[in-house]
Amino acid sequence: MDDGKLFNLILMCIPLSLVSFGGGQTIIASLQHQTVEMQHMLSGARFTDLYAISRAAPGPGTMIVSLIGWEVGGLLGAVLATLAIFIPSSLLICAVGSYWQRHRGRPWAIAAEKGLAPVAVGLIFAGVFAVGHSARFSLIELVTTLVAGAVLLKTKTGPYPLLAATGGLYFLLSITGQV
Amino acid sequence: MDKPVDQTESVETQPVPALDLLTSFLRLGASSFGGGMTGWTHREIVERRQWLTDAEFLQTLTIAQIMPGANPVNLAVYIGLKLAGLRGAAVSLFGMVMPAFLAILALSFTYQQLRSHPEAQAVLRGLACVGIASSLTMGIKTARRLQAHMLPIGIAVTVFLTVGVLRWPLVLVVVAAIPISIAATFRLERKKNRG
Repeated sequence: MDDGKLFNLILMCIPLSLVSFGGGQTIIASLQHQTVEMQHMLSGARFTDLYAISRAAPGPGTMIVSLIGWEVGGLLGAVLATLAIFIPSSLLICAVGSYWQRHRGRPWAIAAEKGLAPVAVGLIFAGVFAVGHSARFSLIELVTTLVAGAVLLKTKTGPYPLLAATGGLYFLLSITGQV
Repeated sequence: MDKPVDQTESVETQPVPALDLLTSFLRLGASSFGGGMTGWTHREIVERRQWLTDAEFLQTLTIAQIMPGANPVNLAVYIGLKLAGLRGAAVSLFGMVMPAFLAILALSFTYQQLRSHPEAQAVLRGLACVGIASSLTMGIKTARRLQAHMLPIGIAVTVFLTVGVLRWPLVLVVVAAIPISIAATFRLERKKNRG
């Protein structure tokens, strides 16, 4: 275990918790950048693994920080990272949620609700770019991503059948030596 | 519409027992496989327990979606707060997160055992593809709802370039971009309302 790294991870999570408008996918770019490239807590390949697990796991995508916490500091690391990502945003909603609810319908509140969307869109694409860039996809993986995206966009298929099918396919490809 | 929202008072005068909140949200947290959390939460809180009315639930949901943080967790915290104060918020947060946290721990452990096997590596690569595809889809769906105007699109592109490509610190970009985006939306809305 590395106390310095764990401490840095917690310090990283607290502000991210407060700006994660739209949920976990909006802070992925920063998590990748900080844990892999700036603080060298994880290798790029390890980050991609944890990202894959967090997307396949139940619960919010934000819980990738629990996995990073586990890598950096075991059970204690996982617990502290989880608290650091959920407590600040929870305190904020307790502090201002009722106030906002009372003033909904005011012009500034409507503008605030609509004005968050463009920022969230930019952040989600930044996250896709960061993970895609560090994963160094092969051609077959790129094709898999595009096909999966098309299936999710065009059909009503949920993520779980798609995850199971893709996981099964890659297992078969692996034991037959194709990837 | 102009009346201040005080209908919630009837609920607040009779706090819901913390233990009931805990069991409800533990159950919801454990059923968070596969998403659809909003629907499950509505079924438990409005239909089964009848702790909130439909209208109250919808208001709560909007706030949970606007505030930073994972939506299902925000929803749990805010419902807990309304029903049983800060204690209720804490209990609901714990209930919602704990099952997913235990699942994550189990997966972490399995990953540590299996990660040296090439087959496990291959499966994870496949799952990462689906994960990225689902984020990409989410981005596209959210982008489609943006106003077809230079300003919101320009802000989205600028945030993408600065955070994704130039790797500027995300927190600083968001803190700068949000007031700009809100001010731009405010002007656009006012122009639209004037015709």
